[in-house]
Amino acid sequence: MTRRIEQVAVVGADAPAWMAAAAIQRSLGGAGIRVRVIELPTLLQPVDAYSTLPELAGFHYRIGLEEGLLFSACKALPVAGQRFSNWSGAAPPFIRGYDQPVESGAGLGFTQFWIKGRQQGLRTEFENFSVGAMAAKAGRVPIPTKNAELRAGFGYHIDARAYTALLKLFATRGGVESKSAMVAGVETEGERIAAVTLSDGERVEADLFIDASGAQAVLIGRMAGAEFDSWHEWLPCDRMLTASAKALSPFPGFSQISAFRQGWTGLFPLQDRTAVVAAYDSRQISDQGVLDSLSAFANLPVNGDAVVSGLTPGIRRRMWVGNCVAVGESAFSLEPLDAVQLHIVHQCISQLMTLFPVEAGAFHEAELYDRIIRRAAINLRDFQAAHYKLNRRFDAPLWDGCRDAAVPETLQRKLDVFSARGRVPLYDDETFHEDGWESLLIGHGLMPQSYDPRVDAIPEQEHIAQMQLRLKDIVGLVEAMPVVDDFIGSAELQRQAEVIALG
Amino acid sequence: MSEPLDIVILGGGTAGWMAATALVSLIPTSRCRIRLVESEEIGIVGVGEATFPEIKNLNDAMGIDEAEMMRATKAAFKLGIEFVDWGFKGSRYIHPFGVHGPPGMDHIFHHRWLRALRHGWKSDIQEYSFALQAARRCRFGFPETRLPRVNSAYTYAYHFDAGLYSLYLRGLAEQRGAIRTEGKVKGVIQDPETGEIRSLLLESGETISGDLFIDCSGFRSLLLDKTLGVAWKDWSKWLPCDRAFAVPSERDELSPYTRSTAMEAGWRWRIPLQHRTGNGYVFSSSFIEESEAAESLMRSLETKALGEPRMLKFQTGHRMVSWEKNCVAIGLAGGFFEPLESTSIYLVQIAIMELVRLLPGKRIDPRLREEFNRLIDLQYERIRDFLILHYKLNTREDAEIWRYCAAMDVPESLTRKIELFRQSAIIERYKDGLFTPTSWLSVLIGQGLIPESYSPLADAMPAERLTSYLDELRTDIEDRVEEMLPHDRFIDRYCAAETAL
Repeated sequence: MTRRIEQVAVVGADAPAWMAAAAIQRSLGGAGIRVRVIELPTLLQPVDAYSTLPELAGFHYRIGLEEGLLFSACKALPVAGQRFSNWSGAAPPFIRGYDQPVESGAGLGFTQFWIKGRQQGLRTEFENFSVGAMAAKAGRVPIPTKNAELRAGFGYHIDARAYTALLKLFATRGGVESKSAMVAGVETEGERIAAVTLSDGERVEADLFIDASGAQAVLIGRMAGAEFDSWHEWLPCDRMLTASAKALSPFPGFSQISAFRQGWTGLFPLQDRTAVVAAYDSRQISDQGVLDSLSAFANLPVNGDAVVSGLTPGIRRRMWVGNCVAVGESAFSLEPLDAVQLHIVHQCISQLMTLFPVEAGAFHEAELYDRIIRRAAINLRDFQAAHYKLNRRFDAPLWDGCRDAAVPETLQRKLDVFSARGRVPLYDDETFHEDGWESLLIGHGLMPQSYDPRVDAIPEQEHIAQMQLRLKDIVGLVEAMPVVDDFIGSAELQRQAEVIALG
Repeated sequence: MSEPLDIVILGGGTAGWMAATALVSLIPTSRCRIRLVESEEIGIVGVGEATFPEIKNLNDAMGIDEAEMMRATKAAFKLGIEFVDWGFKGSRYIHPFGVHGPPGMDHIFHHRWLRALRHGWKSDIQEYSFALQAARRCRFGFPETRLPRVNSAYTYAYHFDAGLYSLYLRGLAEQRGAIRTEGKVKGVIQDPETGEIRSLLLESGETISGDLFIDCSGFRSLLLDKTLGVAWKDWSKWLPCDRAFAVPSERDELSPYTRSTAMEAGWRWRIPLQHRTGNGYVFSSSFIEESEAAESLMRSLETKALGEPRMLKFQTGHRMVSWEKNCVAIGLAGGFFEPLESTSIYLVQIAIMELVRLLPGKRIDPRLREEFNRLIDLQYERIRDFLILHYKLNTREDAEIWRYCAAMDVPESLTRKIELFRQSAIIERYKDGLFTPTSWLSVLIGQGLIPESYSPLADAMPAERLTSYLDELRTDIEDRVEEMLPHDRFIDRYCAAETAL
């Protein structure tokens, strides 16, 4: 056995860098691995917020971060879903709720029953059968209940700079060393980084370099064969604007994503403000054009603090080269849609931990990391591309183009099988499972033409009764949930706030 | 509502009656009508007397009472498969239907075990699998379902008489409305334009029409191959066995596992049932004469033979597509693997369940067909790699077939898997496919591949804690196994077949 990994250098900025450092320190600090962060200047603006999926709770649990701190230290609000408006002409908005997947007996899930109901004249929308969507709509927080079938989780809107500071505090307390610097140069020996030279002249050596620098890709961008391939073909927005508006009262239980003729806007309520994002196609509208109309698009007076930046969804051909591993947007990037920004980081870090290299001299795990992250990235990309493909806006070239363009084969198969039978072919390494895809596809108006024949084994009256019972159960469950304002103010959270204050 | 779909199943072996029972049980008659055509003159292969745990899901879905089914098929329980002399002469390991280590820790356990091994703590990983230890000691009990304990993370399958299982299912299927027609097929009528199958013409002159045809005609593949001409994908260069002799012998010790013993030109199975022991020799005709294989099998029997050895010929591989036009092949008509890991009945079952989920209307939607074929192909390819693993990873030099297999080139997907395990003890997991990392682990290590390294995550446990962790686990497993009943007594109480008493 050759020498084992001892020193890890994380080069990056903001939450991704500290997430990677905290995770490695937590799992491998006890195994004698030392982690040092070379902290690059922040890319964040005061207006920036992260919108996260419920899965992030698993990450916080693994690194030992008390979630209550997010509310007290990061101005966070819990959200049980995302509401999509104006994507489909005159069709009403829909909410994709964060329901927890239910183990369906032999693959016969609720959706199959809903499809039959719909074919027979049921008018109740799909989202009414989702506990997450109904909680979101009611501005309530889906805390755990005893109902084993109807469960939802919640994600967060978090102030990005405060979250970064919290993770940094947490990681450094756990033993992570750090230094703020810029990268002046990268010394490579074949496919290996020998050292990273900093702006102050320091030469940083490590057995493993983690590139958590986001789109800058300061390390992986210099490695052989790690060129970046664009996904603009399917995700056409290439500009992004971030701003803020006043806090909403009472706090809503969802993110609001609205399409406009040249792109979409997102409203992400926080405790102290509402983060506003617009993503758009620069061929259709200028930055100034979006700025001028932003308040109208967002349906809310937007503050004069807007910042614009480029948006380049795509993926690197290699994400782990030699002793350099890209995590987060340095590996692949997407639109700030579907709350995937931090999920991308989370996913890469989880894989890195599972495949953590055993030897400082050989990185046998790289090929598998590349393959898994690529599959996961493609699945996420397809999820976002489906929003565009399934749009029913007939008022603008952007939307016409997206509807008419071919989508990747992986997505086309999902659309085909779903419209034929209401089943979603899931591949290896999916983030979103059946329920997530179903609510997306049905929400955008893709109605299955047939349903599982086993559904017909249930007599009509019983079928109707079961549907009604589910609606009733959901109403009951949601009524018992706390509204967001109360949840935020609860004693438990106050207690945790004191914990951090003492720290 | 439209007219029900008329489904015609050709062939009444295990596959045919499983399909008939499942369809008639799961789908209401308003949606489909089931006819099955079989001829008593044509024998059945009766694939596999050994099954995989997944079969319980299908049986449960079909509303089958386990104890009743076991009585009717003279079944016994199965907790895994023992491999003797496979990796090297004198080796002996069990691929259990359960994890190594405590429940929920299978991602890290083998890394911890490897760490201990590296540091001089010699122990066999088999000591840390509950299902495996229960099998070794010939004990049985149902998994603990309430608490996450060492005795909760396993499943079980059955050894049964496949002929009796078919008969049992036939009874159920007919009682539930499937119509059986006795007869031999003389001709197949196709639509002149689309080539779809319209009807089967029987020797009696009767015509059986249908919308969807399920080809369960066994190796003959009368519809998919002979009628629709779907090509064969041959995998015999990797899995060279092409013959088997099978012979029952008198009942022997009722061990709750299948035994597979490597031989001079293949391997020999031993499957204990309530009323007899099933035996067989799977071999490659390129490496041994048929007569010699038959003699070798008879010599190896541990109890008195109950007949003459019967020979089967086969080839490993599968049809390019399992569903073509309006014909779906299920079972041997669609593909074949030697019974090394008891996958035949599983493949029948997965095809049936996917067909139920993707059941077409009278006009077949090609999107459903393509999805079915994609899923079935994945299953075949992943099982293929797992079976090849047993042959590829051997260091036996005493026979031609083993030297051939050790030297052969294997699919790249498998090479990658073996190499990554060798280097880093990592096993990639997949979503659609029978064999979990737990299964891969037991065979990789069982065949003699000890990884060169292990995950640094295993180093996080303090060194002084590691050996006590392993010791406590082993003791816990031993204690729990002791609490179980001997397998034969469990069978007597739970599901003794009348004639076996």
